[in-house]
Amino acid sequence: MADITVAEPFPIFAVANKYILYDINTVTYIRRVHHICGVLIGNIPQAAQQNVFSGIPLELIPEEARLLVERGSAYIVDDVASHRRGLTDLSAAERIAFVSVLEKQGLEAALAQKRKADKKREKHFEKAGGKARKRGPDREDTELESASASYAVSRAASVVPNDSDVQPLCITPTTSYPPLSAPKPTTALLPPASPSYDLFAHLHSKDYFLSPGLRFGCQYLAYPGDPLRFHSHFLANGVAWDQEISLLNIVAGGRLGTGVKKGYLVGGKDDSRDEVRVFCFEWAAM
Amino acid sequence: MSYGTGTRNRRPNYAQLHARPLPLITTPLPAFIPHNPLSLIRILHALLLPYIAPPPSHPAPRYQAYFSPATRSVHVTDPAAVRALWESGFFGKGSLSRSEPTWLEGEKRRRGLGAEVTSEEVTAKRRRERVEFKRERARLEREAVEEQLRKEKIAANGGAVDELVEKVAALEVTEVNGSAQAGESPETVEDPVEVVVEASDLKAEAAADPETAPAPSVQDVDIHLVNQEHLQLSLEEAFFLTYALGVLDVQLPSSSSPTLPTNASYLHLFRTHSRFPPSATLTPTDPFLLRYAVYHHFRALGWVVRDGVKFASDFLLYERGPVFKHAAFAVMVLPSFTHEYWFEDPLGVKERRRVEGERGGRDWVWLHCVNRVQTAVVKTLVIAYVDVPPPGEEVDDVGDVLGRYKVREFCLSRWSPNRNRG
Repeated sequence: MADITVAEPFPIFAVANKYILYDINTVTYIRRVHHICGVLIGNIPQAAQQNVFSGIPLELIPEEARLLVERGSAYIVDDVASHRRGLTDLSAAERIAFVSVLEKQGLEAALAQKRKADKKREKHFEKAGGKARKRGPDREDTELESASASYAVSRAASVVPNDSDVQPLCITPTTSYPPLSAPKPTTALLPPASPSYDLFAHLHSKDYFLSPGLRFGCQYLAYPGDPLRFHSHFLANGVAWDQEISLLNIVAGGRLGTGVKKGYLVGGKDDSRDEVRVFCFEWAAM
Repeated sequence: MSYGTGTRNRRPNYAQLHARPLPLITTPLPAFIPHNPLSLIRILHALLLPYIAPPPSHPAPRYQAYFSPATRSVHVTDPAAVRALWESGFFGKGSLSRSEPTWLEGEKRRRGLGAEVTSEEVTAKRRRERVEFKRERARLEREAVEEQLRKEKIAANGGAVDELVEKVAALEVTEVNGSAQAGESPETVEDPVEVVVEASDLKAEAAADPETAPAPSVQDVDIHLVNQEHLQLSLEEAFFLTYALGVLDVQLPSSSSPTLPTNASYLHLFRTHSRFPPSATLTPTDPFLLRYAVYHHFRALGWVVRDGVKFASDFLLYERGPVFKHAAFAVMVLPSFTHEYWFEDPLGVKERRRVEGERGGRDWVWLHCVNRVQTAVVKTLVIAYVDVPPPGEEVDDVGDVLGRYKVREFCLSRWSPNRNRG
């Protein structure tokens, strides 16, 4: 895992205002190099409860996507538009190539299917032949056996795939790139900056791993290292510099944070001095 | 620390002390006993008495309080009124205490005048014990870890340890011999020092711990302690006592007319001061109106309603009162804009957006946070939606103003799949 590198900038696919990565190499790479974990959202439909074992795709929150774009490590691709454009803009040669790729895949799949069926059949006849042999040295049986054995041999001979009469399966492509060519890097699309983006970028620049903190009632959970190794230290909430903070929110955050042995952290950017300042609350009477 | 001195502090009889749920006097009808015809006479007497000499239902002089704009609260200083308001209905909080005004008792105890133990002291003691317990537990854990490490080290070194132990023992013997040769045994050198240290430790502890410290004699103490505490009523409580119960007179701090003429003028005053800075432009979304609607709603249902800022909510609901039971519910007040005015009139839309953005917005993060806090303290979160009416003409009838508000309750509890799997 340590030596996986991905050519930068890599694409982040935007689908319905979600920022999604499909490539497992990119996922491990940004976790190691950029300290961005995202959330794995690929569930097994039959076992939706097993959210511990979610797989790719990985969803990035807009702050994470924006940070990667601002660093120049990634670019945003509007997935739907680029897919549509990629299909309509195909030249005739490309279109033929695309169709032939699909046909080739379909043929391979059909062949694989056929081989599997043949193997199964062969196995079945072997089993049937073995049973017949066990029944004893009866003459008729031996005749039968030799007959079935010769049949099995003849079947085995016919198993050699006769590829010409196989109909290719119709394939629905599961990935767009390839067969479509990857979209060009652009800086036109930038995820919108939420009011708490400054705090996010600030904490990230201090080498914190940040993850969405909804289950702890905050915006971000700040981990001192990889979340697999550490518990989070802070429940971070971003506020504007002159925004009024309700006393009840501070009480709630302080109680909650102290109750789970974390600090309730509030931070914002002072635009006049261009610096982010953060404050931490602790509920003393617990 | 000394535990259980033998004489157990008896708790006051709370059921008797707080027998009246509100500071009003009720005279129930005597029971009718069919085989005792004389009981009819008692009932008749009770029925007719109000026409001849009505028994008092309110305290004879109304309780006096004054409004403090700086703290946005109403202060009661008369000790009798303070006790009455606390004992019947649990109104207000002591300005120097946690809730019940017990500063004077605590101060007397502190000076060795032997008053009753206050709840703050009980809490402080419990916290001290908890800290002590945690320290002890951490020490034991640390020792266990060290012991384990030592064992592992021995196991890793194998037979080499026995030699090591022998060597160390030999070294000690030679050292002891060396000091013995110098003329003094090590015990005689160390012992006096240790004794002295222990004695001074004891003194320091005694000075630090107020419980074991010798109480100053009564002559040293000024017995005429001035009670520096007052009862602090929130604006909702004060208005409930004034308007709904009619047992309280609120005076203004500096004005020619000390009390206000009508309930409507009190309402105006409290609405003005429910925002900061106080503004005379009143809207139907004034925090005081929203909060008072909920306060009155739950008081009318028989709950003891107290401010819930310490549990990050607007109100706490107690079943009989805080001395009997923990609060079971925490109430958050949320304005609800169901009338079309708030969506069609541009002024209404503007005002609605402003109110919804107050307190940093009420988003999912906020709800999760509040809900988790309430779960941690074993309370159920109740969201009280207050239907805000469109602004109408200002009327003098308080009941008319309040009657336009509707309160809907909504209970929430945290659902975790692990605990709710059937």
